[in-house]
Amino acid sequence: MDHDKPHATQHAHDHWLVRPTTIRNIWIGSLILLALLVAAEWMVPIKARFSVDDWPAFGAVYGFLSCVAMVLFAKALGWLLKRPDDYYAQPRDKELDDDA
Amino acid sequence: MDNLLAQLPALQVVVPFLTVPLVMLLKPRGFAWLAATATSVVCFAIAIAMTSAILQGAPLTYAMGGWPAPFGIALAVDAFSALLLLVITGASTLTLIGARASIDSQITDARQPLFYAAWLLALTGLSGIVVTADAFNIFVFMEISSLASYVLISGGPDRRALPSVFKYLVMGTIGATFYLIGVGLVYMMTGTLNLADMEARVHEVGDQSPILVAAGFITVGLALKAAVFPLHAWLPNAYTFAPHAVTAFLAACATKVALYVLIRFDFLVFQPNLVGHDTQFAYFLMPLAVLAIVVASAVALFERNLKRLLAYSSVAQIGYIMLGASLVNDAGLTASVVHIFNHALAKGALFLTVMALAMRFGDVSLDQLAGAARRAPWTMAAFVVAALSLIGVPGTAGFISKWYLVMAALDEGWLAIPLIATIAAGSLLAVAYVWRIIECTYFAPADGTEPTGHVPPLVTGVVLIAATANVYFGIFTALPTTLAAEAALALQEALP
Amino acid sequence: MPELFSPALILLAGALLGALLRGSLRTAVLFAAPAATLWAIWQVPDGVATTFTFLEYYQLEPVEGSPLRRLFATVFALMALGGVLYAFRQAKPYELCSALAYAAGAVGVCFAGDLITLFIYWELMALFSTVIVFCGGTPAARAAGIRYAILHLLGGVILKVGIEGIAVHTGSIDLQPMLAHNFDSWMVLIGILINVAAPPFSAWLADSYPESSPTGSVFLSAFTTKTAVLALMLLFPGEQVLIWVGIYMIMYGIIYALLENDARRILAYSVVNQVGFMVCAVGIGTELALNGAAAHAFAHIIYKALLFMSAGVVIYRTGKHLCTDLGGLFRTMPITTVCGIIGALAISSFPLTSGFTTKTLISEAAVSEGLVAVYLVLTAASAGVFLHAGIKFPWFVFFQKDSGLRPKDAPWNMALAMIVFAALCIIIGVFPQTFYEFLPYPLEAYEPYKAGKVLFYLQLLLFSGLAFFVMLPLMKRTLTISLDTDWLWRRLFARVYTYCQRLLETTRQTLMTRLKTWYAVMIRLAQRTYADASKEADVELMPRSQPIATTALWIALLLSGYVLAYYI
Repeated sequence: MDHDKPHATQHAHDHWLVRPTTIRNIWIGSLILLALLVAAEWMVPIKARFSVDDWPAFGAVYGFLSCVAMVLFAKALGWLLKRPDDYYAQPRDKELDDDA
Repeated sequence: MDNLLAQLPALQVVVPFLTVPLVMLLKPRGFAWLAATATSVVCFAIAIAMTSAILQGAPLTYAMGGWPAPFGIALAVDAFSALLLLVITGASTLTLIGARASIDSQITDARQPLFYAAWLLALTGLSGIVVTADAFNIFVFMEISSLASYVLISGGPDRRALPSVFKYLVMGTIGATFYLIGVGLVYMMTGTLNLADMEARVHEVGDQSPILVAAGFITVGLALKAAVFPLHAWLPNAYTFAPHAVTAFLAACATKVALYVLIRFDFLVFQPNLVGHDTQFAYFLMPLAVLAIVVASAVALFERNLKRLLAYSSVAQIGYIMLGASLVNDAGLTASVVHIFNHALAKGALFLTVMALAMRFGDVSLDQLAGAARRAPWTMAAFVVAALSLIGVPGTAGFISKWYLVMAALDEGWLAIPLIATIAAGSLLAVAYVWRIIECTYFAPADGTEPTGHVPPLVTGVVLIAATANVYFGIFTALPTTLAAEAALALQEALP
Repeated sequence: MPELFSPALILLAGALLGALLRGSLRTAVLFAAPAATLWAIWQVPDGVATTFTFLEYYQLEPVEGSPLRRLFATVFALMALGGVLYAFRQAKPYELCSALAYAAGAVGVCFAGDLITLFIYWELMALFSTVIVFCGGTPAARAAGIRYAILHLLGGVILKVGIEGIAVHTGSIDLQPMLAHNFDSWMVLIGILINVAAPPFSAWLADSYPESSPTGSVFLSAFTTKTAVLALMLLFPGEQVLIWVGIYMIMYGIIYALLENDARRILAYSVVNQVGFMVCAVGIGTELALNGAAAHAFAHIIYKALLFMSAGVVIYRTGKHLCTDLGGLFRTMPITTVCGIIGALAISSFPLTSGFTTKTLISEAAVSEGLVAVYLVLTAASAGVFLHAGIKFPWFVFFQKDSGLRPKDAPWNMALAMIVFAALCIIIGVFPQTFYEFLPYPLEAYEPYKAGKVLFYLQLLLFSGLAFFVMLPLMKRTLTISLDTDWLWRRLFARVYTYCQRLLETTRQTLMTRLKTWYAVMIRLAQRTYADASKEADVELMPRSQPIATTALWIALLLSGYVLAYYI
């Protein structure tokens, strides 16, 4: 029955935070904020510590890229290291149980 | 007073010995126990008096029948002997005070006078071994104590004790015989049985090979009596099926006395005389000690019967004592002697707890004891404290021995690392098997049946005293460490 | 007079009394003990206050004060007080008493003037933290607890060996800075590193903390690792290897937390990550760095406790702890959500929170030492922290999706504790100068709120937030765990052990059957020789005397070995 209702009213029962309109607004607001942060560097100079970080918007770029790198690295490592939840809880051999 | 003090070494043996026939005749219920306990208390007092005398001054000596050594039998009590005497008489006294109800439940009234008589005989024998300075006299007392302990162990209601005692008897006799053969060989070469005299005369012997063979026989024989790995096969079953009070007493002191003789004999007679003997002693006994610690603890991990678990733990602890002795340095010997004291405290307390638990729950297998902590909280608390002492947690007596052992091991150069690894492994395994017991008694759900036994408050009191002693001597270490340090010095005096 | 006794003893007395009393009297004691300890801590003067002789020749110094020690002790006592407030209505009484005893160990270490006192309190901590792990109540908790106990005991033994070595070889047991250059000091360092959850021993933290009860993990997160950090600061400031250990811990924590599904295990990996910052700072060793380590430890204890508290409330109310099961809880748990977010912002060193005014000291120290690589890693790590703890934790637990759960918000005492700690996070963030007064070294001319720095961090953090939401499809939560170094002893050693055991068993069995057939042959021979009625008894006896036979064999071997060895 819900499928027939128009999109807006379908989500009317949701909490305001999870309504699609709110989420879209939050995205737009955040992107504006991020752009402002980068722009603010013209007004508020960020002192570079070393030669490496003497780039404009270094914080932004470095933050974004290092996080992407970390997530990808974690993903790659996960292929190696992930095991099902009950990996260590598998039933041990009968003999061990008898002894213990 | 001085006159009495001079007589004390002899009295230490004579008092329990003379009380034996008296106790055998006391048929009325409870009198035998009373007489035995009173005697034990007197012996403890004698031991304390002698210890304080030694701490203030020189060792005590006594010539039996006025015959001077080396013609007569001499008794000599020094720091090492005093420590052992405290352990023996203390264990006997504390156990007897608390054991009445347990013994009443396990041994029929008609047999009790005989039982207590055997107990006093064992006390006589063990004290005698420690007090005497004559090699053959040691053998005599060793036999007295062994035979008495065979009787004690087989006295209980468990029929499985009989084959265990038989095995103990056979192996114990082999051990004693080997010791005798060794002593005989030395007597043949030196013409004397007095230990001090032996030490002097062995230097003059031309052909050292009989002495060497004698050393072999004595070491192996005493190792058997002391349950040094791998000659320990008799111990687990003997301790498990004996009456609980007997286990508490014997576990605290029986094997320690054999170790005392081994160390004393070796350091006094063989070390100074056989070339390179200290290295051989070390390299012979060190691997055995290491194996004892690791293997016995590992076996204890899989045991389901609480008493047998603690018995294997004892074999491991004997390994620690041997490890300290095999290092042949000041710290090692101190560690060894201190551990004799501390292990007696810990194991004695543990087995006293088992005695109390057996009184309440009947059976001492881990399945039966599930959830015991809720029903016997004080007893189990004492068990935990004594177990912490066994592991070597700081604040308990066991920590002191482990401390000295590690200190001794650090002096050994490259050997230090495997030795310390062994000591660490032993502690970890101890944590594991103690944990199994605690998990079972504290966390496992108890089955619905209420235990029928009743534990008199006296027993709980005794158990708590034993546990507190572990903490007391872990903090105020003056007494055992002073005695041990003096003993170590005295043992090394004879070394070249 | 009060300075003669370690404030730790007040907490211990509180634990003991708490165990013996009942009802409201017990509650009163549980609150009074940490409060009294807090007062006592500020009575301890600088320098050595008392000595005590041990084993006849060691001079123990049970109480030694300094600004650094008082700082750590204060936050430990605060933690005890806050934790009791959080837990007193929900936790089992013996868990609370163990927590006080655990805190007592931590405070005791703070004021330990010599290595032996330190070791005694160290073991006390290990003992009672194990009990808290066990209070989780489940079989998994007990199994994790035994692994925890064994590992910490191993660490304790290694530490003890090192301490004894130092005592024997240098004759002194005083707590003074040293470098790891010989066996003894390495052992001490390794023993401390095990407690600080450095790799390869870091697995214990993520293994045991999530298994404890919802209230237990709050206590566990505070003491062991931070006491180890203090020990490092007192014993190994400037030890170069610690910089790299710290960096590895930082990265390890982030990566594993990114892979994790269990809410509290995410936080546990995060603890390793944050402690890595402190360890790295100790490695840098300058006054600024040590200030940073101390400040960061103080702030970290508070915001980590806050995070564990919020996670604890969620688990307490829903019974669920996996991210795959949670989500959308903000609807019915506003207080918990807000406090959780504040904690998350603090851990990410977001401006206006305690993390910003404390952790940045460490980066600053790296800069002033010219350590470019370290600085870059620390900066990336700050972004990473926001990624795995600042956003991931609150997102997956409180937002993400609608899990259908509508639990009630936190009970009043839990909420109050969380609000107090959240307030502390904000206060230290907004009024850092007062806090800087308490740091061990004077902090000249350090301005945390320079405009450029604030902008830099805002850029860093918010863009990593962007990265999170961009990469969100790649970070689907799975019902998995990630293998760690503890695989070595949980799997490999276990398999080797079973194999050896089976090998020994088959060998023993073949030997036994051989011996039995041999005996049977002998008996038949005997039977033929002696036609005797009592043979039945003999037949019975011989098979059972195998132990005697084995022993006799050993005797022969040993005796010959003894004599022969002499001639070699």
